[in-house]
Amino acid sequence: MPPVAQTVRVKVLFFGRLKDVVGQAEESLDLTDAFTIEQLFALYSGRIPELAKYRSSVVASRNQEFASWGTQLHSGDEVAFLPPVSGG
Amino acid sequence: MTPLLAHDDIFQLVREPIDPRPLIDHVRAPEDGAIVTFDGFVRNQSHNRPTLYLDYEAYESMALAKMREIGAQLHEKYRIHRVAVIHRLGRLEIGETSVYIAVSAPHRAAAFDACRFAIDTLKRTVPIWKKEYFEDGAVWADGELPPAPLATRGAKPAS
Repeated sequence: MPPVAQTVRVKVLFFGRLKDVVGQAEESLDLTDAFTIEQLFALYSGRIPELAKYRSSVVASRNQEFASWGTQLHSGDEVAFLPPVSGG
Repeated sequence: MTPLLAHDDIFQLVREPIDPRPLIDHVRAPEDGAIVTFDGFVRNQSHNRPTLYLDYEAYESMALAKMREIGAQLHEKYRIHRVAVIHRLGRLEIGETSVYIAVSAPHRAAAFDACRFAIDTLKRTVPIWKKEYFEDGAVWADGELPPAPLATRGAKPAS
């Protein structure tokens, strides 16, 4: 395989207060390298500094399943950042 | 309209008022001896602040998947017959039902235990959020973090 950076297209979703902080509910992103969920969140925190303070209370999912922060993303993945849930 | 699964359970997210009757009728069968239901509805205050109304939103595809997981856990853990779990989204007024759970079983103990497990697990693991509206503004309700094992990718309840 040639050592070229691959484009990884992911769909990113924000819910609850995170949606308010980010200002949008979803976005499709082309990442230039193998990103982890942690790095993806950091990318948004760089763009929206206020987001960083929610890091410790946020849980992430990949393709509708809870995912650890070190999970590597693949093209076509749907990643969501979920604030503490409050259904019921 | 009603998605039927292996156990003939019901898991739904709806935007219209919840009518419990069809759910109870659905889980009730001649071989059962008990149905336990849980009706969660909108309280008129939050931390002693009068609430005007609530607005619920969900990560719908994942919420339904998590509700089905809860159903599967109930059948693994308890001797129950059928489960119905329905959660309403959108704007809800005071007193309106936000979540309704019905569990049928041959004997009452399993139905009580399973119903309790279902609502407790739903409140910790199903990606639904409520915003509380007050006279002087609105806030997202303090929520709960899923327990650590569930927050790890690939983690599944013991089977």
